[in-house]
Amino acid sequence: MNYSRNDLRLSEATMNQLRNAIYHLARFLINNGVTDLKERLRQMGRNIAKTYSNYWNPVDTVSLTNIREVIATIYKEVLKSSVSVEINDLEQLIIVSDTNCALCKYHYDDIEIAGCEILLGLIPEYVNQINMNSNQKSGLMIEPVNIQKSRALGNKSCVQVFKYKTGEFA
Amino acid sequence: MGVVKWLMKKITKAFGQNTSSLFFSLLYREILKEINNITNDEDLSLLVMREIGKRAANESCERHSTIFKFMPGSPDKVLDYFEILWVVVFGKELEDLSYEEIPKQDSPYNDYLLKIDNCPICADYGLSPEDTFDLSKVKQNKEGMACGLCGMLQSVANFILQVKENNYRIRITEQKCKAKGDDYLQLLCKVYDYNQWKELKSSEKEKNILSQLHLEETEEEFIQTSKLDIFDKLQDAFSLDKIEDIIDEPFETVKERIANIIEDKLHMEPTKFFDYFRNYEDDMIRILGFLTIHLLNEYGGFVEKLLKNETMAKAFGYLYKQLKELVLLFIPLDVINDYHEFLVNFLDGLAPEEMVENVRMYSGRDDINFVFEGAQIALEDLGINFEELEDNIWEELKSQREDELVPAEQSLVDKTQERFPKIVKILQEIVMLLNEILTLPIRVLISEGHYGLKTAVNSVVSEEEGLAGSIRNRFDTIFDNIQELRQ
Repeated sequence: MNYSRNDLRLSEATMNQLRNAIYHLARFLINNGVTDLKERLRQMGRNIAKTYSNYWNPVDTVSLTNIREVIATIYKEVLKSSVSVEINDLEQLIIVSDTNCALCKYHYDDIEIAGCEILLGLIPEYVNQINMNSNQKSGLMIEPVNIQKSRALGNKSCVQVFKYKTGEFA
Repeated sequence: MGVVKWLMKKITKAFGQNTSSLFFSLLYREILKEINNITNDEDLSLLVMREIGKRAANESCERHSTIFKFMPGSPDKVLDYFEILWVVVFGKELEDLSYEEIPKQDSPYNDYLLKIDNCPICADYGLSPEDTFDLSKVKQNKEGMACGLCGMLQSVANFILQVKENNYRIRITEQKCKAKGDDYLQLLCKVYDYNQWKELKSSEKEKNILSQLHLEETEEEFIQTSKLDIFDKLQDAFSLDKIEDIIDEPFETVKERIANIIEDKLHMEPTKFFDYFRNYEDDMIRILGFLTIHLLNEYGGFVEKLLKNETMAKAFGYLYKQLKELVLLFIPLDVINDYHEFLVNFLDGLAPEEMVENVRMYSGRDDINFVFEGAQIALEDLGINFEELEDNIWEELKSQREDELVPAEQSLVDKTQERFPKIVKILQEIVMLLNEILTLPIRVLISEGHYGLKTAVNSVVSEEEGLAGSIRNRFDTIFDNIQELRQ
């Protein structure tokens, strides 16, 4: 009997080599003519969220009242990282600051991409998956904006920015 | 499992950057899928995945090369420490591993077949709609899902051999894959001498294919002797397997080995070596405390990194102060004197007579104070400002949120509150651990004829429930809490 994905969810793995692999993948993709690298990484994050959410969800419904805590909890569960989440009501932005991002650690001279682009795909998809499968319609969805800072880009911490929308679509 | 092997695994895991294993496994899957989007050829994708795994692991090894200087330096020993390779690469305990040795003529080293019942990469593969990498298109004689992991393991193994200037290399390939329908993950570890290895690294066909994808195979660089430091010179004597041997051997043999090391590595008689410290015996004992902290820090500089964090520096400062007080308050003087006697016995025969007599003049209490003074100097070097510390650290424990969600905005106070129960737990465990270790000399003395530390421990208690088990459990708790603290 092999491990199940649920078994894996309950244990931890060291990311050092796989984090490096993301940047080697990025080089490989660029060298082979891929021009939408950010989108490729975000798509990887979306796929991870779709599978992961089959095994664990922090709440039944995500709304504006709990979005900050839900996002912080997802980071804690998936990435074992303690993050700060701020909401900018004026511009409808969600700003996540992570001083210990599992996907970014070193600045590479030859590549200008942050590994946490993957999270820019993962987090919105995770939240949207929860709400899609929820009985209560919260009317909230989020989408990626950009990586404002990243340790992979030479900054001291990573800052991921998302935009939230409220309405009838969710 | 040997004590050193266990400790090495714990340290590697506690100080690595961890995520959930499921995230690791899914990210691995996505990397493979992205490669396949480029190649549109599953066999070729596995080849590229292996190459990316090799490069990724090699990058980590080069960053942390000091760690590998203490690994054993021959292919058979490296494979004997496969569990550590696995933990370095994957960070997860390896369960259900079995070895089969394949005898090889005309070579000092045999090949190995490793069977692993549980493969984290293949876990539930195929159950989700996103599992789109189609393994049915992979030819039967090709590798499977764990090829990238094999590339990583191979890189780490060969990096160790390279650092140890060994002329053999190991090729690790996946022969059976659970996601392909096999019953277990099977890895073939073939050992080659360096000339064979250079010819065999990749077939010409594979090289051409990788080259077309702009992924030329990386060449190894041999480390020049001029770059070697003092640790390189001592690594043969202090590699993990040798330390494990020393722990297994009784006291007199340990003395004999240390004498041999001094003679071999420093080219001088042990008495001449210790003669340098004659009339400076107190400083020599201080150096023990000083060196212990700095040697701990040699492991990737983790003590220094840990103490860069102001909260951690303070916590360790308080821990140090508490330990210093507790040792002298609660440990019976007889026990401390036993250790002093142990030190005198150790020096007797190795050091000049006059020096042994000088050390004999000190009390056990003096020894402890000297060791702590030395350790304090080292801790100050590494970032603890003892002048800033208050008398008391006890704070209220953080209350749990009712909804169990993690607070979204973590101030320094929040983070400290979150960490505090774990810090307190570590403090408690270390203090208890120290108490238990300090009672060891009594057991050693009772153990007739000084059969050695390990004999004494094993004769008094069982591995599971007694002192050894208790110490191991306490270390487990300490490492688990450090790991949580780092998140």
